[in-house]
Amino acid sequence: MTTDTGKTREYNLSAEKPRIDGTLKLTGGADYAADRNLPNQTYGYPVTSTITSGKLVSLELDEALAMPGVLDIFHHDNFDQLSRSPNSFADENLTSEPRLPFEDNEIHYQGQYIALVVADTLNHARAAAMKVKANYERSDEFLTDIKALDRGEGELPGEEQPGDASSIGDADSAFESASVKLDHRYSIAQENHSVMEMHASVAQWENDMLTIYESSQGVVFQRNALSKIFGIPPEKVTVISHFIGSGFGSKLFMWPHAIMTAVAARRLGRPVKTVLSRTQEYLATGYRPTSLQRVRLGADDSGKLLSIHHDGCNESSPAGKHDDTVSGATPKMYDCGGNAAVTNRLVTVNKCPPCPMRAPGEASGNFALETAMDELAVKLEMDPLALRKKNFAAADPTSDLPWSSNHLKECWDDAASRFGWDKRNPTPGAMQDGDEIIGYGMATQSWEAMRQHCSARFGFRADGSLLVACGTQDIGTGTYTIVAQTASELTGIPIEMVDVRLGDSQLPSGPLSGGSMATSTVLPAVSAAFDEALSQLKSLATAEGGVFENADPDTIEIQSGKLVQGDRSVEITQLLADNQLGLIDGEASAQPGDEQNQYSFRSFGAVFVEVRWDPGISRLRVARVVSTIDIGRAINPMTARNQVEGGIVMGIGMGMFEQAEFDQNGYPYNNNLADYILPVNADMPKVEVDLLDYPDYRHNAFGARGVGEIGLTGVAAAISNAVYNATGKRIRDMPISIEKLLSA
Amino acid sequence: MAPVIRHSTGVGFCTPGAQAETAEQPTAASGKHSSETRRITLTVNGRQHDLQVAPNAVLLDVLREQLNLFGTKKGCDHGQCGACTVHVNGRSVNSCLMLACMQEGAEIVTIEGLAESAGFELGHHPVQDAFLAHDAYQCGYCTAGQMMTAAAIINDDSIDGDEVSLREAMSGNICRCGAYKNILDAVQSARGQMRGGE
Repeated sequence: MTTDTGKTREYNLSAEKPRIDGTLKLTGGADYAADRNLPNQTYGYPVTSTITSGKLVSLELDEALAMPGVLDIFHHDNFDQLSRSPNSFADENLTSEPRLPFEDNEIHYQGQYIALVVADTLNHARAAAMKVKANYERSDEFLTDIKALDRGEGELPGEEQPGDASSIGDADSAFESASVKLDHRYSIAQENHSVMEMHASVAQWENDMLTIYESSQGVVFQRNALSKIFGIPPEKVTVISHFIGSGFGSKLFMWPHAIMTAVAARRLGRPVKTVLSRTQEYLATGYRPTSLQRVRLGADDSGKLLSIHHDGCNESSPAGKHDDTVSGATPKMYDCGGNAAVTNRLVTVNKCPPCPMRAPGEASGNFALETAMDELAVKLEMDPLALRKKNFAAADPTSDLPWSSNHLKECWDDAASRFGWDKRNPTPGAMQDGDEIIGYGMATQSWEAMRQHCSARFGFRADGSLLVACGTQDIGTGTYTIVAQTASELTGIPIEMVDVRLGDSQLPSGPLSGGSMATSTVLPAVSAAFDEALSQLKSLATAEGGVFENADPDTIEIQSGKLVQGDRSVEITQLLADNQLGLIDGEASAQPGDEQNQYSFRSFGAVFVEVRWDPGISRLRVARVVSTIDIGRAINPMTARNQVEGGIVMGIGMGMFEQAEFDQNGYPYNNNLADYILPVNADMPKVEVDLLDYPDYRHNAFGARGVGEIGLTGVAAAISNAVYNATGKRIRDMPISIEKLLSA
Repeated sequence: MAPVIRHSTGVGFCTPGAQAETAEQPTAASGKHSSETRRITLTVNGRQHDLQVAPNAVLLDVLREQLNLFGTKKGCDHGQCGACTVHVNGRSVNSCLMLACMQEGAEIVTIEGLAESAGFELGHHPVQDAFLAHDAYQCGYCTAGQMMTAAAIINDDSIDGDEVSLREAMSGNICRCGAYKNILDAVQSARGQMRGGE
C-alpha cells in the first residue's frame, strides 16, 4: 500500500452532476439503518428515566415481562460485563456518552436509559416498555439552564478550560487604551439536531462476530469503540451505514442505544432492531449546547480594531464532557492589531451530553462576534461592511502564516452587489414597504478547512466497470457522487460505470463525515488508490508477453478506459480478459503533509439578509438571503450549493426559531417536531447562493476545502443585525422570538 | 395518461387483479398474541395482501415491518414531519396516524409504486425525475414523503400553482437538510409537466 501526501499534481475537476445514488433515494431503494428485517429478528424499545437527577432504586418488571411477545428486559442487573471505550479521538474510538448503558444507579438526565425491552414485534416491545415501573430517589438539585448562573456582567459562570485559553499580543492593555470600546453578552439557546432519521441500530451476532447496521457518520469510529467495549478484535465488528437520514454531528460518535442493542442480540441469539422514538431522540442523542458569550472589542476612531476579547461558556454533562470552544476561531477572523484573548468555560447541566452540531462552536461564536462588529459599526457611525473591510486579515493573525487561498474581499463585494447593500439606509426603521419595515444586515462567514488521513481502494473490473471503496459515509452531502466523478475523470470511463462503496467499516479506513473535511480527505486517497491500480495495469501490459512488452510504464497513459502507448492502445477489459482476471485493484492512503506548517487553511464567505417586520401584526420574516462563499473548488457545484442553502435554512432556525425548553422539573417539553420549531418550506425566503471558484491546490490536489458547515455561519448574526436595522432593537439572545422582540 | 391522484378528495384507483396470498404474519410470532390480531386485506402498489395485524399497529409500521416496504419512512410517529406520507384511496395521508386495521380493502400507494400506479415507468414519475434533476434532497430520508405529497398536490385543483401556495402545501413535510428551495423548484417543474400549459 502506498501513501500519497497529495501534492504531486493538480486535478481540474468540477461538474454539476445529478447524484449517483439519486435513483435509490427516489424510489425507496436506499437502505437506511432500520430498513431491514433480518431473519428471526426481534425489536428493542428503550425505557428512559423520568427524573432529571437522583438514583434509580428499583425496577418493577413483572407486569412488563408478562406482556405478549416479550423475550427479555435488559437493565443494570441483567446485562453483560463490558468495558468503556478509551474514548480517544486520535485512536478513533470516541463515543458521545462514555458511560456504558445501565452502568450504575445514578440518574444524570431525563431520558437516560434505564432498561431495554425486547419483544417479537415493535408493538409488543413498545407496549411492554410502557409497563416497566421505576422507583427513584429523586434529587431536587439539578440544573438545566446555565443562564440561571450568570450575573450578567464580568466573568462568565463555569469552570475555565485551560486548553481553550489563548492569546496574542496584549489584549487587556490594548482594550483599556482604545478610544472606542464595546462589551456585551450574547447567548444561543440549546438547539436539537432534529435529524429526520431517528438513531437506529440493527445488531446481529454470527458466532463471535458482530454486525451492526447503524445510522452513523463514522463507521470506523463506531467499529473501534465496539471492539474496545466488547473486548473483541476490530475485524470481528462490522458497522454498516450505507445511507444516513442526516446527522449534523449527532451521529458522529456512538450513543449507548447501539451498545444495549448489541448486548441484547448476543444474549438472545437473535437480531435486535432498536429505533429510538422522536422523544428519545430529543432527550438522549446530543444537541448544540446553550452558550453564553462575552465579546469586548477595542477600536480607534477610524474603525481599526485594536483588540478582541471573546469569552465563551457552554453546557456540558455529567454523563459526558463536551467543550464547544465557541470562541476558538475568533482571533482568526480579523486583523485586530495583534491583540486577542479568548477563553471558554463549561457548566455541567443535567442533560445528556452535548455533541458537535453543524459548524460546532464556530456557528455560535460567529454569531456573537459578528453581532458585536455590527454594534461597533453603529457606535462608529460606520458602514458595517466597510468596518469589516478595514479589518481584513491578510494573514492568519494567530500564526502569521499566509492563508492558503482567501477571497473574502470578493465574497463581500459580490454578495453586497447582488444584494443591493448600497441601498441600505443605516437609520433603524427608515426603510419601509407598505405596512412592513425593512431591515438589512450582513455578517462574515467562516469555517476551518481540515483534512485527515484516509485509505481507499480503486479497482478495474472485467466487465469494464470501476469499483471504488472507502470506509467513510455519504450523509447526504454527495460523497458517493463526487467519488464517482473523480473515478470517471481519472479513467475516462463514464460515471454510470462507477460502483462506489461507502458506509462499511470493512472497507479501507475513511474519515468521519463531519467538519466539512470528507471531500478534501477522501478524494486524494481515491486518486492515490487509482495510481496504485493503474501501476498494476501497466505491469500487466509491460510484462513478458504483454501488449506493451518491455515498454517504459511512464510512457503509458489511460484514456477512455484504454491504456495508450504512442499509437498503440488496449482496452482495459481486454487486458483483464487476457490475464483471466476479474479485478485489478489497488489500495492506498493519503494524508496532509508539510503544507500544514506553511499555510493556514480556512474558508470565508459573506451573507446578507433582508428582514421584514410588520408591527401591525407582530410578524417578523426573513425575506431574502444572499451569500457568496469561497470554498476553493466545488467538485459538484450543484450538490455544494445545496449544502450552503441547507446551512442557511438551519441558520434561519438558529436566528428565528430553535430552542429546547425545560420545565421546572427539568423536563424538555418541546421534545417533538411540532413543539420544537424549525423552518419549513413556508418559512423560506428567497435564497441566492454563489460559490466562487478558486481551487486551493495548497490544501489538496483537488483544490476543495469542503462545504458542509460554512453556509450556517453568519446567518443568525446577519438576521440579528437586520432586525436592528429594521427596529432599532438589539437582540443578543438567539433565537429572536416574537416575545423577545416585543419585550426588548 | 396517468390516473388522477387527489390530495383532498377520496378518488380511488382501479384495482389490478392481483391474487390473494397467504396471510402475512407479524415476524417471529411468539404464540402468545395470535388472538389479538385482526385479519385485513390491503392492496399496496397494485398487489393484494392478506394480513394479520395487531389492532394498535399503524399503517406505517405494517408497511415497513410486515410488508418490508421500507421506502416509507418514520420521522416522528406523530404526524408532525410528513416522512411517512403515502396515498390511501387517492388521498395523501400520514401513515403513522392511521391504524392499519381500519383500512380494510384500502388501495395504498407508496413510493415504491408511485410511478407505475400512475402509468409511468418504474422510478420515473415526473416528480421523481424533477427531484433528481433539481437535486431536491440531500440525505434522502424525507424525500419519499415529499414526493408523495408533491404528487398529490399537483393533481389537486384546490391548490394553486404559485410559489406561496405550493410552499404552504409542502410545509407538512419537514426537510432538515434544508433543500426547500430545490424542492419547490422540482414541484413547480413537475407540475408544469403534468398539468401542461394551463
